[in-house]
Amino acid sequence: MIRGILYGLKKFWSEVFSGDLLILFLSIVLAVTSISSVGFLGDRLKSSMQMQASSILGADLVLRSASKIDSKYLDLAAANDLDSAEMSTFLSMVITEDDNLLTSIKAVTASYPLRGELKIVNSQGTKIKHFGSPEPGNIWIERKVLETLELMELDKVSIGNKNFIVEGIIEDYPDRNSSFVGFYPIAIVNINDVDAMGVIQTGSRVVYRNLFSGTQDNLERFEKSLEGMPANIRVQNALDIGDNLGEDIANSTTFFNLASLFTIIISVIASMMAVRRYASRNLLHTSLMKVFGASKLFILGHQIMQLTLVAIFASSLGLIFGYGLQHLLLSTLQGIINADLPPPSSRPVILGFITAAFVIFATASPYIKILSETEPIRILRNDFNIKLSSNLMIYLVAFFTMFGFLGALFQDIKLIIYIVISLILVTFSLYLIGRLLIYGLSSMKFSYGTGWKLGLKNIVQRGNDSILQVIIFGLSLLFLVVLAETRTDLVDSWTETLDEDTPNYFLFNIQQYNLDPISNYFKDQGNVVPDFTPLIRGRLLSAARPGSEDINFDNLMEREANLTWQNQLPLSNSLVEGEWWTNGNEVAEVSIDREIAESMNLMIGDELIFSAGGKTFSVTVSSFREIEWQSFSPNFFFILSPAAGRELPNSYITSIKLENSQKFMNNFTNRFPTITSVNLEAIIEQGKSSLASASLAVQYIFFLTFIAGILALIASVYSNRDQRTKETAIMHAIGASRALIFKSAASEFLILGLLSATTAIIFSIALSSVIFIQFLDLIYSPNLLILGLSYLFGIGFIFIAGVISIRKSIYASPMITLRDS
Amino acid sequence: MSNLILEVKNITKEVNSPEGLLTIVKDINLSVEQGKPVSLVGPSGSGKTTLLAIMAGLDLPTTGTVRLLGSQITSLDEDKRAQIRGKDVGFVFQSFHLMPRLTALDNVMLPLEISGDPQSTDKAYEALKQVGLSKRAKHFATQLSGGEKQRVAIARSIVNKPKILFADEPTGNLDKKSSSSITDLIFSLNELIQTTLVLVTHDLSLAEKCDEVYELSEGQLL
Repeated sequence: MIRGILYGLKKFWSEVFSGDLLILFLSIVLAVTSISSVGFLGDRLKSSMQMQASSILGADLVLRSASKIDSKYLDLAAANDLDSAEMSTFLSMVITEDDNLLTSIKAVTASYPLRGELKIVNSQGTKIKHFGSPEPGNIWIERKVLETLELMELDKVSIGNKNFIVEGIIEDYPDRNSSFVGFYPIAIVNINDVDAMGVIQTGSRVVYRNLFSGTQDNLERFEKSLEGMPANIRVQNALDIGDNLGEDIANSTTFFNLASLFTIIISVIASMMAVRRYASRNLLHTSLMKVFGASKLFILGHQIMQLTLVAIFASSLGLIFGYGLQHLLLSTLQGIINADLPPPSSRPVILGFITAAFVIFATASPYIKILSETEPIRILRNDFNIKLSSNLMIYLVAFFTMFGFLGALFQDIKLIIYIVISLILVTFSLYLIGRLLIYGLSSMKFSYGTGWKLGLKNIVQRGNDSILQVIIFGLSLLFLVVLAETRTDLVDSWTETLDEDTPNYFLFNIQQYNLDPISNYFKDQGNVVPDFTPLIRGRLLSAARPGSEDINFDNLMEREANLTWQNQLPLSNSLVEGEWWTNGNEVAEVSIDREIAESMNLMIGDELIFSAGGKTFSVTVSSFREIEWQSFSPNFFFILSPAAGRELPNSYITSIKLENSQKFMNNFTNRFPTITSVNLEAIIEQGKSSLASASLAVQYIFFLTFIAGILALIASVYSNRDQRTKETAIMHAIGASRALIFKSAASEFLILGLLSATTAIIFSIALSSVIFIQFLDLIYSPNLLILGLSYLFGIGFIFIAGVISIRKSIYASPMITLRDS
Repeated sequence: MSNLILEVKNITKEVNSPEGLLTIVKDINLSVEQGKPVSLVGPSGSGKTTLLAIMAGLDLPTTGTVRLLGSQITSLDEDKRAQIRGKDVGFVFQSFHLMPRLTALDNVMLPLEISGDPQSTDKAYEALKQVGLSKRAKHFATQLSGGEKQRVAIARSIVNKPKILFADEPTGNLDKKSSSSITDLIFSLNELIQTTLVLVTHDLSLAEKCDEVYELSEGQLL
């Protein structure tokens, strides 16, 4: 065996450059490029999403409570090697000599924030501090506080009984969602100043947080030790938030997974073809080696060495390409991804090598067995064909190995099962169609002399080989069409998400008496009709389930809630459970966002007690809703029925789309100074650029899979090229004209292409609909343009590639061809 | 002590065919003395090549035994027979069977590389020189004429200094001039390297150059 291994080592590059190993080599390069680029990208995307989630919290894990949190948790965190910080948040007036402003005060320890960036600048805009807390007696304030109170750096302000010196301006800070409501400007003070302020009394609304960060293992150990913690302390984990960061990113990840899954399948198909050709061409070599004394072990050593070298070199090359491509993808994904990402882990590299080894040995091992057991007598019989019956076993082995591997790799059994079922159905259908074709054609009578009839006769004569080609063409096309449709519809759905009519301004604090003047103003000045939604500040106090006692409603305590009441279900909402109230129904009911309801363990029929406008009232949960947050319309976790909400004191909120918004809003603010406006353009632009980047990334990955598909088609066209070449030479020798041979080959490939493409298109509609509905949460309607173009492409490509593959032998001297073969 | 290098006893080979069991060779007995060239003649389909394959250990008979170079090869497995072939047996085929993607030199080196001979390049070059093709050493097989291909095949067959050389219709694919020169080459090399030639041919003039001629007809020796 050692001699065989050394022989394989010595002959490796000549085998690669001779073309026998080349298609196999390229298949592996492509499979590894695809899987590793997606792997590198996924790895870094995941890190990015976790970083973003951690930044939203300012930490990896947060304990949150409305009452002081026992310091034992800080000790427990220290024992688990975690960093920690403390923060208390409350609303208070920031007072100057002439004015005051209600501000959200964040009192923090010096280690704040643990994640994300705190950017403090002086009045010239120069950074003065990046993390920590101000020294006791100093305060950092947002520019809005500075402007409203007409403050200068080093001016004095007071909060309660404590005086502060304005040390810096807050330009950026993490954990934006931790302030009371996004509408109040924030100020940051040292936590040691809180007692001196004297503003926190019994009953004051304060949110206490302990922030923690550290390695995933330490965090998990710490979180486990928190079991049995009092119910009023909530645990917020960055990983949970990361999961909810965006359906778009989730969908693009699904697409990447799907693309790499298809790429691997297509690469396996291409490799099967390449290995088949490699094995049949190697049969002469192997038989000769046997004649000259090579043992079974020698042949095994030779083959295993060569394939191992293919795995090493091709996957190394694939990893280099994959890493480069990932860089390219990252540069297009800058809208979504943080600039300073951690380097990718070694996982994609290991994955690349495993993929290469799997693809090669799953497809080649049965052939290695056939080659090592080759009888030397083949040399004297001139018999160098591998029988199809052996191939069927080979394909079954490859098929099951492939799905075992894919199951382990993607850990998405549902997806793998759908793909397996599709593959079996399509393969079986293609087999039946191929068999019917041969049966149909064999009962027809053909006369020689007509090119296309000769082509049809060739299909019959090739029998199982023709069926195999129909199957391979069909499968390769199927995956390409499904991916093309998925890519197009995914990108379209993203484009539709943020259309031109997306509102770019939110207006708050609108009182009843403002409604008509504001409506008239917008109508006159901007030809816009605003739609006002009532906004009720409330608080969820408790929940109960009629007929049941001691139900544990998670995450219910101290929930501040923005409420509204509505007659109709808002356009950007869809009902997922229960029923919407009918007009005239005077029952006090509430409709809740499905995710919030799930997080609170609520069910339809539960009773909720709210307090709002100095009134405590009870409502029955009547429905759950799915909310499309990207609509940028006013959306609410809790919508009350008119009977419950119409009597409550409320202000109004609206969102509008404005052209030339800056000038318009300046005039509006002068006319209505008490109305608060929030410009959404920056957020919308960020969303648009994120989606555009994700679309580009999807295009790159699709392109990669497309190349893999083309390679598979070429591999299957070339799989019986040697036989075709010999037949062409014989035809030539017995007097057939070039035109006749050309027409015969062209008609053969045209029929094969037509059948494969038709079947692939039909099944792609079924597979796409499953993927859209089950995995992307999108509505599927067949994209006729893509399907039509794919159909024409499929037929055209097989036809052209097939004709090109035998072109050389059509024009070569038949004598030379026959002599060389 | 016996001087026999090859001893064939009661060899019969049967194969399954669509028409039923087919007997290719039947009850063959022959022996070959070391150093004495023998030929096996007969018309196409008479079973010559099958008999050669069995004698050389490339195939097994249905019944009967073959003793080659002192070993009863019919009772050995394929790997043990390969070992004997690699060490002491040479082959020349009608269709040359050169590896098209290898150079003439690489083709000749093949048996030596399999046996792990460290001097394979020098020995292969020497063998090419013996067949008069040293200048064609770097040419690929596809760049050679039929006669040249067979010379390379002959160089390959003698490169490991075999004790016995089996040649299956070595001139069957060549023109008259090339045939004559290849015939001369085979016999002169046979003299030179002191091997035993077993030649299968339907060319009687070629067969008659051997010390002994066995004639085969419909699978049986006449």
